[in-house]
Amino acid sequence: MTALASIRDLTVTYRRDGNEVAALKTINLDIVAGERLAIIGESGSGKSTLALAIAGLMPRSSRIEGRVDWLLPSSPSSGAKAPLGGRDIGFVFQDPSASLDPVMTVGKQIAEVAYTHLGLTWPQAYAKAKSLLERVRLPDPDSALQAFPHQLSGGQKQRIAIAAAIAAGPKLLIADEATSALDTILQAEIVALIRRLVAEDGMTLLFISHDIALAAELAERIAVFRHGELLELGMTAQIVGAPTQAYTRTLLDAHIGLDAAPLLNRAGLDA
Amino acid sequence: MSLLTVSNLTKSYRCGSKTIAAVDDVSFHIDPGETLALAGPSGSGKSTIARLVLRLIEPDAGRIEFEGNDFLALSGAALRARRTRLQMVFQDPLAAFNPRATVARVLDDPLRIHGIAARAERPRRIAALLERVGLTADVAPRAIHEISGGQRQRVAIARAIATKPSLIVLDEAVSALDVSVRGQILELLLDLQRQERIAYVFISHDLGVVRAIAHRVVLLEGGQIAESGDARTVIDAPQSAIGKALVAAAPRLNRIRP
Repeated sequence: MTALASIRDLTVTYRRDGNEVAALKTINLDIVAGERLAIIGESGSGKSTLALAIAGLMPRSSRIEGRVDWLLPSSPSSGAKAPLGGRDIGFVFQDPSASLDPVMTVGKQIAEVAYTHLGLTWPQAYAKAKSLLERVRLPDPDSALQAFPHQLSGGQKQRIAIAAAIAAGPKLLIADEATSALDTILQAEIVALIRRLVAEDGMTLLFISHDIALAAELAERIAVFRHGELLELGMTAQIVGAPTQAYTRTLLDAHIGLDAAPLLNRAGLDA
Repeated sequence: MSLLTVSNLTKSYRCGSKTIAAVDDVSFHIDPGETLALAGPSGSGKSTIARLVLRLIEPDAGRIEFEGNDFLALSGAALRARRTRLQMVFQDPLAAFNPRATVARVLDDPLRIHGIAARAERPRRIAALLERVGLTADVAPRAIHEISGGQRQRVAIARAIATKPSLIVLDEAVSALDVSVRGQILELLLDLQRQERIAYVFISHDLGVVRAIAHRVVLLEGGQIAESGDARTVIDAPQSAIGKALVAAAPRLNRIRP
């Protein structure tokens, strides 16, 4: 097991209204190269802060203690060299409308990543953008290259955000609630897309979600976060089948699946 | 007699030169104290139906009968009076409320505007409403943006029940909540329904929640009804293509559990 990233004693503190708020408390976690790791938690668990801290996207007003050691092909010896966002780490956020530039064509937004990080010429970068749109199964890639984000549906925009995230061939793909704003059918399609792309490109996946059932379908390992702490980490089957923490059990029990006992019966409302 | 009867409801939007039927000849009814779920993917028309039923927008064609009256024929004071019986809770209460208002102000508004309680009596009524939705009176002076998402949705429910409605439209009302909070809010809704015999139009794309809380379901696709019936019967064995796709796409833990 090679760790792509070793997180050691990571503590992140925000200043809010003059108070120090610890968003993450002494986190120790290895992200194994090539694995699909899910970070699960509710509001305020610190799961998004973890994603941002790993990607080096924390605001300057935050205080970060501890370290993240990387083992990247570009820095085989020491691991001291920090990864470059966009090149080594691809990031997909919840709301593609907010992460895509509204006044730049879809083609340019993807091509720009390839141009910047891969040293391609613009024509080469546009050709790469078109092949990426084909890979994310966007219908009619030629016209999509010329389109602006607002001309596309939510699911299509998320496919474009994913295409841009993987354009430079990152080692690590971070998806932060990337399907939470989509309906169930689109969610399943995007999860299947992420699974395929990660396998094809040999990427490591960090899948941040509030939905333990969704995460369990995609991830090999699950880390459960609560109030800024890592409560439990294990293989998916162990977390789902034999959790050691009561809170993990609570999350599992709160899942309302298609086989859940109807709440109506308990309320005695059945006609 | 049905509480709400919707007949042949149609609403189109023009998008450039194209006309898109957001709701296309939709009919359904709801009985008192019943939960009817409207489920379907994005763009299936479920939220447009909610807005039409609330008369936030007007239909191109069709009838809406509510509590025995032609709801579309009402206007002015008669419409305002009838609206007390038909309330709504949306996905994001932060967007639905004035963010600078306090909890007390949010609950005071309907009591004052609809003349439900005199000024002197309103603080007591507000405290009772908060208690009814599982909050304590000490949240009353707090600002809407200060309280948690779950508390905010409880305030939204308290506001909805302040006018003693017979029907509440819940548009993705639990979709943005943490899962542990979601269960509590669903229990609260069921408890209110049992106590007050309130009917719900429950709009959701999550068939797991629909199956758990609704009596009947209408599955929508492209503005039309694809399938409808008893919630568990439909979801356990969907007949329509969209029903099968929604069921297949739902995440499930028992694929992993031994």
